[in-house]
Amino acid sequence: MGRFKSNKKGRVNVKPIVKKNQANVDHVTGDKIPKSFVFSRMKLPGPVRQLQMDLRKLMLPYTALSLKEKKRNTLRDFLNVSGPMGVTHFLMLAKTASALSLRVARTPQGPTLTFKIHQYSLASDIAQSQLRPRCPQDLFKSPPLIVLSGFGSQELHLKLATIMFQNIFPAIDINTVKLSTCQRLVLLNYNKDTKLIDFRHYSIRLQPVGVSRRIRKFVQNHQVPDLRNLQDVSDFVTKAGYGSESEGDEEAATVTLSSDLGRVNRSSTKSAVKLQEIGPRMTMQLVKVEEGLCSGGIIFSEYGKSC
Amino acid sequence: MSAREEGHGMAMAERGTGKRRVGKSSKKGGKTKRNYKFKALPPSSAKVSVKDKKLFKKRARDYNSDEDDEASKQPEVTIREKIFTDANMGPNYDEIEEEQFSDRDENSDGEDHGEIHSGITRFAADGCSAFRTAFKAIMKKTKGDDTLGPVLSAHKHLIAEKLAEEEAEWKAKSQARKAKHLVAEKGHVKPASYLDSHEKILIGVATKGVLTQFPPSTPGITVVKLFNAVNKAQHAQKGLNPSRSKDAKVLKKRRKEAFFSELGKTSKGDSKAQTSSNPNGDEAPAWAPLCDNYMLANPKLKDWDRKQETSEGDDFAAMSGDESYED
Repeated sequence: MGRFKSNKKGRVNVKPIVKKNQANVDHVTGDKIPKSFVFSRMKLPGPVRQLQMDLRKLMLPYTALSLKEKKRNTLRDFLNVSGPMGVTHFLMLAKTASALSLRVARTPQGPTLTFKIHQYSLASDIAQSQLRPRCPQDLFKSPPLIVLSGFGSQELHLKLATIMFQNIFPAIDINTVKLSTCQRLVLLNYNKDTKLIDFRHYSIRLQPVGVSRRIRKFVQNHQVPDLRNLQDVSDFVTKAGYGSESEGDEEAATVTLSSDLGRVNRSSTKSAVKLQEIGPRMTMQLVKVEEGLCSGGIIFSEYGKSC
Repeated sequence: MSAREEGHGMAMAERGTGKRRVGKSSKKGGKTKRNYKFKALPPSSAKVSVKDKKLFKKRARDYNSDEDDEASKQPEVTIREKIFTDANMGPNYDEIEEEQFSDRDENSDGEDHGEIHSGITRFAADGCSAFRTAFKAIMKKTKGDDTLGPVLSAHKHLIAEKLAEEEAEWKAKSQARKAKHLVAEKGHVKPASYLDSHEKILIGVATKGVLTQFPPSTPGITVVKLFNAVNKAQHAQKGLNPSRSKDAKVLKKRRKEAFFSELGKTSKGDSKAQTSSNPNGDEAPAWAPLCDNYMLANPKLKDWDRKQETSEGDDFAAMSGDESYED
């Protein structure tokens, strides 16, 4: 009886992660879909709480966007919930007076990677810094792609980090994936010299190549163009506006589409892949790797206490 | 209503009737009313009805005496009081003062001096006992022991001290708040509004970098390559129905060829493995055989048991086995 009571007390208040008909398994490929919880077990200051919210949005759609933690919730409570919900990864933020840390763990048995966050910027900060922040409606309806660069495969802990981040988002099946669902990209760039990892989150946009800016805007905006300064209608098409600033870079980043993607990007035309940052942005350092879920033997420690 | 007010109101009425005079039958009535008021005014200010007098007397008594029992003890005072009030406390005291100043003077002169004397004595003796007691109480008071004494101006230095103390307290509080805010904001950086070189490099890396949602055995797939490869792969399967087994085989072959040709590599031996070989995450729905299209997705499952063994041995092997690519 007593045990039952305590069990009830410690229950994590969680809304259903995803729609109930959404299974734990991808119905096309049969792969298991990784799901995640982003939470912290302490009271976070305002900006860090916002960072947690941004991380949840980043982990969409397979995450609990409105997960409510309470002070008395222990890790075991989250673990108990994670089983039936099919949650495979935990992202835990912790703030101490000296540092802010992010722990990425695989449930139920670990391992756990602890990152120290040196610097971070919120999604709102990044949107504020941009002239035209971009947020299409269905941006967060599909999982992001993930790019890991500079990790190499020599060092064990880096390899482990690579594997961890690879599996945090569902795998792509190249035959069935729809390109319209590839909207976001998460980049983790490891710098060997500083041992820092740059964490960035971009939105992917396709833009037709070889079309003048005027025509592109005309097609996109549906607005009657201003023709007052032109002698003839043909001038609108032929007159060259100022060219794109990154025309040179685009050659490497062009793709040919087999199917239409929106109104502008038609099939069998060349399109350029453009990335625009949407937050959050983090600079972090891998400081510790534990065997279990926030426990167990220490596989790696940056400060060299064990090994 | 005072006489002045009444007069004013009358003037207003006059003006009002003057305006309305044209073609109005009620003009006569208005005039009579005005006349009546003129007549009625002097007696109302001079005479006070007996009832009113009683009322005023009572009020005056209440006003003068501190306690009720005091008033009841001294009934003889009421006579004096009556005169007193008659003289001064008429209902229209102000009017009388204004209009009939000379009359009042005469009246007061006409009355006995003793009456007035008694009024004054009464004022001294018990009329304002409340005032007296209050005054005495104040005089009796000694300097209090509290930090800010009864008289504020006498403790200027105390006030200054208290203000300084408050200020210091406030300063300390604000500093603590600032420190807390600093701790909370630690590491929070506002990005620059322009793209600096580092960010540009990172965007380049992201565009051309290797996607890692594929196993390490397959070569690096960049975002651009992914788009192209997906296009090729999906272009190949146009016009074929994947639910038919014959088409499915063809599809599979074509897909593989297209995929590897796009990546610039020949297809090696099948690197298929069951994905859910991770012993940790084996939930019932996650188990591939429970899937509807289990056998359709990967018809050949040769070395499933071998894979299981290796994955159980090592944690890392389990991890790598988990993400192995499935066609």
